[in-house]
Amino acid sequence: MASVVFYFQVHQPFRIKDYSFFKIGVDHQYFAIQQNTEILHRIADNCYLPTNGLIRQAIQRTKGKFKATFSFSGTVLEQFELHRPEVIESFRDLLKTGCVEFLGETFYHSLSSVFSETEFERQVLLHKKKLKELFDYEPATFRNTELIFNDRIAELAKNMGFTGMVTEGTDRMLGLHTPNHIYELESLPEFPLLLRNFTLSDDISFRFSDTNWPAYPLTPAKFSDWLHHLAPESETIGLFMDYETFGEHRQVETGIFSFLAGLPEQVLKHDKLDFATASEALARYRPFAQLECSDTISWADESRDLSAWLADNMQNDAVEKVYSLEKKVLASGNEELIKTWGRLQTSDHFYYMSAKYWFDPTHQSFNPYRSPYDAYINFMNVLSDFERLLG
Amino acid sequence: MSRRPKILMLGWEFPPYLTGGLGTACFGLVNALNKYADITLIVPHSSKEQKLENVDIVGLNFYGLGTKPDEPVSIKKGVEVVEVDAELSPYPLKTFFYKDIKALTEPGEIRALYGSNDPYGANIMEKVATYTEVVVKVTEGKDFDVIHAHDWVTYPAALKLKELTGKPLVLHLHSLETDRVGEEVAKGDWDSVYKIEKQAMDKADRVIPVSNYTKECAVIHYGIDADKFYPVHNAINPEDIARIPNDTGQKIVLFLGRVTFQKGPEFMVDTAWKLIQRYPNVVFFVAGVGDMLDALKQLTIDRGIFDKFIFGGFLSKSNVKRILAMSDVYFMPSVSEPFGLSALEAAAADVPCVISNQSGVSEVLQFSLKADFWDTDKFANYIYALLNYEGIRQDTTERTRKIINELTWDDSAQDVLEVYKGLY
Repeated sequence: MASVVFYFQVHQPFRIKDYSFFKIGVDHQYFAIQQNTEILHRIADNCYLPTNGLIRQAIQRTKGKFKATFSFSGTVLEQFELHRPEVIESFRDLLKTGCVEFLGETFYHSLSSVFSETEFERQVLLHKKKLKELFDYEPATFRNTELIFNDRIAELAKNMGFTGMVTEGTDRMLGLHTPNHIYELESLPEFPLLLRNFTLSDDISFRFSDTNWPAYPLTPAKFSDWLHHLAPESETIGLFMDYETFGEHRQVETGIFSFLAGLPEQVLKHDKLDFATASEALARYRPFAQLECSDTISWADESRDLSAWLADNMQNDAVEKVYSLEKKVLASGNEELIKTWGRLQTSDHFYYMSAKYWFDPTHQSFNPYRSPYDAYINFMNVLSDFERLLG
Repeated sequence: MSRRPKILMLGWEFPPYLTGGLGTACFGLVNALNKYADITLIVPHSSKEQKLENVDIVGLNFYGLGTKPDEPVSIKKGVEVVEVDAELSPYPLKTFFYKDIKALTEPGEIRALYGSNDPYGANIMEKVATYTEVVVKVTEGKDFDVIHAHDWVTYPAALKLKELTGKPLVLHLHSLETDRVGEEVAKGDWDSVYKIEKQAMDKADRVIPVSNYTKECAVIHYGIDADKFYPVHNAINPEDIARIPNDTGQKIVLFLGRVTFQKGPEFMVDTAWKLIQRYPNVVFFVAGVGDMLDALKQLTIDRGIFDKFIFGGFLSKSNVKRILAMSDVYFMPSVSEPFGLSALEAAAADVPCVISNQSGVSEVLQFSLKADFWDTDKFANYIYALLNYEGIRQDTTERTRKIINELTWDDSAQDVLEVYKGLY
């Protein structure tokens, strides 16, 4: 018996506007309000609302056998509140079905787990508070920003009261094992881990519309067949992806919606397969083996490590600068400044500065800047002004 | 063809006497190409000490010109001896003294053909014409496979040779008149250089521009068929220039090159003014001379930033190295730059570069900071960033260093060899 766990990541940053050095000391509004609003509306209409509808129908049709897990960054929740509260309403409806789970994460979708454990804690608490406020919900399972993970981060999550965690099923952590089981860390027993099967996940989120892909076109029947073949040797099959896969990264013309709509029934045709939420899967199966993870992993790029955000001098310079302000920011007691500082920590800002922009088409498609230099300079100019405000 | 080609190369500048990028580029190329080809190089001015393997350097400054007009001239390995002068600069400003040359043949006809209202100094055309006649005489009976001519000053000689010998002609395009004086002036009635360039490109078998940018300029402004062009980038023999601490107390932004219209001096001033409003602790060092030097000084006075500029004049090689070693940013806001070798020199000295998109060198310096020449807001923003934020300084210099290390004249020489193929 193998349980298919669909987990969808819902995140939008507060992108920074064009901020040249002329504005330092003069303009204290850093965010691209118009751009961020437009993007949020577009994605709400093309992706979140239609896919939520599709999932709700799937749950109804399968009489609750179809399950889905979501995680929201605090920044996207804030933007829903500001511009599209009906999206929150739509997720509330999903929650009411009883077949949907929400995960905990850092409010600002940040790298705080790597740079400041106090800030990490603050953000996780903020996020829990938000889930309680909007959904009256308490998350049991944790996901860290971009599935960044290591032994220590797992420990931090456990200390914050979570009962399990999701992360990437990297080859170097698994060794000869497959990602299709529950695991635990040697250093942290009683804290089960659910892993992403990146091959199958990327088949949907990346290769789905690639006409050069041998398996193109991917149909629900074909995909379920693959899962069915894995089932005897597996217990969990983690299909984790950005929610924007549906309607934004893969446009409606590719047939991605029909695929998702047709998939539940096809999967459930096989008696060795079912669906589960992350927590259900974590509870249902005993850990298959113990792992260790001293080298940090993530779900980003081929290397699945921290290099997407921290490979370059520019990136490290910017991140260190942001976290160097922690003491002063929190000491100020100024809510606006603290909130702004939080928004400046979102991992996307550093992703945009990556030199991989020049070599990896993926980095270009998520990037509003024309060069990593522009992203970095913009950010550092903003920080210069922010630092002056702190005094 | 797998045998070594014999190249008759017509140059204008050659070490150790250099006024700009043309000589550096020519030397760099010849010094790498001589591994693969036998070259006879004829230049107006050379020195006895300058020797390269497989290269006959014929310096017309050592040519027995005018003393015995009918004396046969032979080309020996090394250098020919002559009386005289010919400090012939292809650039607008006269920076050297020269003596009158004694004409070899009837230059009157030739001078008339090329017009008289020339921007390069009183008798540049005379020199070009004489060069033409001398080259023909000197190469009589000589065996070669391809004529390779650098820039307009040698094109008349090249064309005459092609006509006389029927050998294939390759032009090397380091600069264009339309860059030097603008399209309107270039195409005006009295500009002969444009006509020389056009005629030569029309008649040449192949043209080697120093960048894709220059190729586009030639295609658009001269109406030459794009298929004729085989761009070959200039390269650099990097010397390690150790950083010298800049203890002047001010950051140095370096402008290195001729102060002429095409180098964008007014955009430099505009950028400087914008930067100085927010970051006054900077000085703009202008290393070079040119016909817009006085205008540039006046502009800085008008904008109230004269005290933020240092006019270093024309620098010797060792002083260029010194200023590079001390500079914090290299700035090249060129309006239209066929290549921009000095940017490579700066990059090789680990100076972060801010350069114009309208330049050939921007095709090669992938990781430098670039903007359109008129975008002084962006230039100022970039320079401010390089002066204040360590991360971008490190990233741009590290990545650029890797490029510089791989930018060899040997690669350029190989590219040139490919251009020769099929011609002989």
